[in-house]
Amino acid sequence: MEHSLNIQLSASEGAVLRALGLIERRGFSLGKCAISEAGEGGRSMEVTVSSSRPGDLLKRQLERLHDVKSVELKPAATMNKKNPGIRPINRRI
Amino acid sequence: MKPSTHLAPEFRSGSEILLEALERNGVKQIFGYPGGTIMPVYDALVRTGLKHYLCRHEQGAALAADAYGRVTRRAGVCMATSGPGATNLVTGIANAFMDSVPMVVITGQVPSALQGTDAFQEVDIFGITLPIVKHSYIVRDVADIPRVVNEAFQLAEGGRPGPVLIDLPKDISAGMGEVIYTPPVKQPEVPAPDSRAMQMAAEMLSKARRPLVIAGGGIAISDSVEVFREFIARTGIPVTATLKGLGVIPSDSPGFVGMLGMHGNGAANHAVQNCDLLMVVGARFDDRATGHLAQFAKSARVIHLDIDAAEISKLRKADVAIVGELAPALEGIRPDGKANTGWCAQCVGWTKEFAWRYDAPVKGIYAPKLLRDLSRAKPEDMIITCDVGQHQMWVAQHCKFDNPLQHLTSGGLGTMGYGLPAAIGAKVARPEATVVCVSGDGSIMMNVQELATLNRYGIDVKILLLDNSALGLVRQWQEIFFDGNYSEVHLADNPDFAGVARAFGIQARSIQKPEEVSEALEWLLNIQGAAMLHVSIDSMENVWPLVPPGKPNHKMMQSMPENGR
Repeated sequence: MEHSLNIQLSASEGAVLRALGLIERRGFSLGKCAISEAGEGGRSMEVTVSSSRPGDLLKRQLERLHDVKSVELKPAATMNKKNPGIRPINRRI
Repeated sequence: MKPSTHLAPEFRSGSEILLEALERNGVKQIFGYPGGTIMPVYDALVRTGLKHYLCRHEQGAALAADAYGRVTRRAGVCMATSGPGATNLVTGIANAFMDSVPMVVITGQVPSALQGTDAFQEVDIFGITLPIVKHSYIVRDVADIPRVVNEAFQLAEGGRPGPVLIDLPKDISAGMGEVIYTPPVKQPEVPAPDSRAMQMAAEMLSKARRPLVIAGGGIAISDSVEVFREFIARTGIPVTATLKGLGVIPSDSPGFVGMLGMHGNGAANHAVQNCDLLMVVGARFDDRATGHLAQFAKSARVIHLDIDAAEISKLRKADVAIVGELAPALEGIRPDGKANTGWCAQCVGWTKEFAWRYDAPVKGIYAPKLLRDLSRAKPEDMIITCDVGQHQMWVAQHCKFDNPLQHLTSGGLGTMGYGLPAAIGAKVARPEATVVCVSGDGSIMMNVQELATLNRYGIDVKILLLDNSALGLVRQWQEIFFDGNYSEVHLADNPDFAGVARAFGIQARSIQKPEEVSEALEWLLNIQGAAMLHVSIDSMENVWPLVPPGKPNHKMMQSMPENGR
């Protein structure tokens, strides 16, 4: 299954490498990737990935990274609607 | 803490700034090994109040820092030079990452101008460790050092803890800079657990006929042991534990069915396979705990409590997830009444049915019985560190723990060689504790050089070395799953371990007979200073039960199949 994500990265060294490495290590095959500047030295990454694993899991794994400011999973919903106990995650640990 | 006053107030070297920043973050001890690019830091180190422990291999330093971090719940600090010094830390960093241990790692790096030129002892340790750190930095400006160090500690210790690497090029550590210290960073407030999810969890627990709690390592990491115990006392729900959850409730508590998983107790595995509701607290459905995942607790709904949102539904779908600190979630889940008494009685029945037996007809000393006797001897203040292999599983099965911090084991990475440096880190962190390293003849050789560290600093660690002249767990698997085709597992040519220990200045003795055990354990636990008790055991002894790989947890093997051996 294919997933598209927008990943906003902070200006820290290695941020792009860290995010892309995580995507592949967590079992998602990287298709398209476009990186652009996003102000204050940060980066915006548009990626398309494919995997049998759920996109919202990758989103949460990316959100753990200190370099990652935000992740948007498009267009599928990030939450399992059958699973209302899981609340939106908007903070990293 | 009060910062050092011995440094000039404003214009300082990067190394001095680094070390003061460490002290300002509460660091008192560092485990490390000097070398070329980290020399400016070691030069400044002697002018600080920091106590440095020279380990004899960087892996030993990293693993000692890991154990220090587990015991104190503050980041352990290790330090090494660039190149091989840094790569030797990698196993220890990965160990901390897999077990969510707070650690700050400082590596020297070649000067900035030489980076990327294949300079002497240059490796991209930042790149090498990307998959096994919570975060990492290459310091590019002396003035950044206080901020980087503050952030590193906040990240390492906050949320789900983990290792943070600071790579320090030599021109930064030797360079001068004007510095403004900022106070250590406070941990951000963690949002309160979702009240609706807690309510749903309470309703599910109230309705469940066969509820079970899995206690994971996150309970100790988040300092939620007392709250967890109150929850269990209030609800009466039977409890099993992962390897890292052992001790979250005392091993002999009523309702505790033992450790689950590959070498878990039969009671735990039957309970988990028969429950209709599984409440997983600070655990992550590791494959060694679940066995065949699709058949794991097949008829159960799942409530998952974890601080890490990325663990939710990673391997097993959560019907209700509560993300955040465990303590307020456990306090907020209030099911009606107590767990079904019939189910509780069933769990107690399994506990009796699968109680460990110590009358196995074995040749020589029976390791499980010896380990039970060890933990009976000094239960209050003892920390047991393990290596990896059969002895590690026997410790998990047969030692009794009243507190999870009594049991330091390499759970996720399974690092042979963890035990001895971990014992060093634990004893440095808690000098008043009796620290026993239970090791095997394979594992001890992985970091045997740390005997020199024990001797150098007079660190009072007791080593219980179970010697079966084999890589026992691999030999066991070759016996069972590879038709007895033994490949590179026999260690009959082991050195004289007691002699090795004595050569390092460590007191040692060897025993071979069951009748020697009692007196020898007494000797080990009561003798002053570091000591090794070398115990010869049967090389064909196996760890039972065993859930074969790919099988569900209730398909435990209790002994060799008829056509075995």
